[in-house]
Amino acid sequence: MQSKFTDIQLITQVLAGNQAAYALLIKRHQRFVFTLALRFTKNREDAEEVAQDCFVKAYRSLANYQQQSKFSTWLYSIVYTTAMTHLRKKRVDTTSIDDEALFIQIADTHGSMDANLAERRSRSYYLNMAIEQLLPDDAAIITMFYNGEQSLDEIGEAMGLEPNNVKTKLFRARQRLKEKLERLLKHEVKELI
Amino acid sequence: MNDTEEKLWNYIDGTCTPADRAQIEERLITDVAFKQQYEELVLINAEFTTLELDEPPMAFSYNVMEQIRKQEALAPLKAKVDKRIVYAVAGFFLLAISALLLLTLSNLGWSDNASPSVQTGIKLPVKLTIPDMGNLFNGVWMRYFLFFDMVLLLFLADAYLRRKPKTTAFEK
Repeated sequence: MQSKFTDIQLITQVLAGNQAAYALLIKRHQRFVFTLALRFTKNREDAEEVAQDCFVKAYRSLANYQQQSKFSTWLYSIVYTTAMTHLRKKRVDTTSIDDEALFIQIADTHGSMDANLAERRSRSYYLNMAIEQLLPDDAAIITMFYNGEQSLDEIGEAMGLEPNNVKTKLFRARQRLKEKLERLLKHEVKELI
Repeated sequence: MNDTEEKLWNYIDGTCTPADRAQIEERLITDVAFKQQYEELVLINAEFTTLELDEPPMAFSYNVMEQIRKQEALAPLKAKVDKRIVYAVAGFFLLAISALLLLTLSNLGWSDNASPSVQTGIKLPVKLTIPDMGNLFNGVWMRYFLFFDMVLLLFLADAYLRRKPKTTAFEK
């Protein structure tokens, strides 16, 4: 059930001591925050940990939120930095995050394990599979632009980039996503697009 | 190729310049291949908008709220005390110490029998008469004062021991 209050109204209530209002804010943004975290971590357990961490951090810093940008933009900037920190830690523990092949391998394994034939043929299945194979930055930009309803300026704010850089990165990310999709679908891509 | 595609994406997003827009619109009418490329990108764009969000576990929001409650319960007293109260207490003690110092200095017995060999012109006390502070230290108020000092010291020690290193994860 969606709350009738705006984000700002809910934040005001939280700052006034109504902790329950924060639960409504979480419910409103949890799907996007979780998805964005998943774009970086590539597995649900880590994504849940990162997303939870983000909401706790946001709660603790809520008094510092200046309301100069949308709450979602501010929240996504927390997701971005938290996820990047998580990746850096993981990289120290395991291998390089720049190893694109690793993501492809993970996505392929995941795909072969739980996909049934009907799913395999659905458009969204292939698209989600393709986005899983992108590098974290590319996947995050695509997700923020198409799912997060964020403008180029807002994405830049969340990722600490200039809008022109975001524009270029978005263009490249789209190209790579298109390539991945084409590679996945091979001959089926012509049928799809 | 890339430049054309980039321009087309900007046109689709509505972020291109008016000059580019006019140029693209004109080319869309005259160039069939260009129009075909544009239509393909429009279809891909529409496809991208169908990207679905993943659903977090059912207990996600409950888990976050639990984590917040746990952290709040563990938060040191320092975080809950208004800083103004701390400043007021510090101010009170500074005033009290200053007043005590002034009182002590004003009750000192000064003598102008300066040593002739020094000749500095500074009046050095030859015989200091320290005021009797015994009454003050035996008083009930002084005991309260020292007790309060002790509590404050314990509070500061607690705050110091609980202090964690600051993280700069998302703060700009």
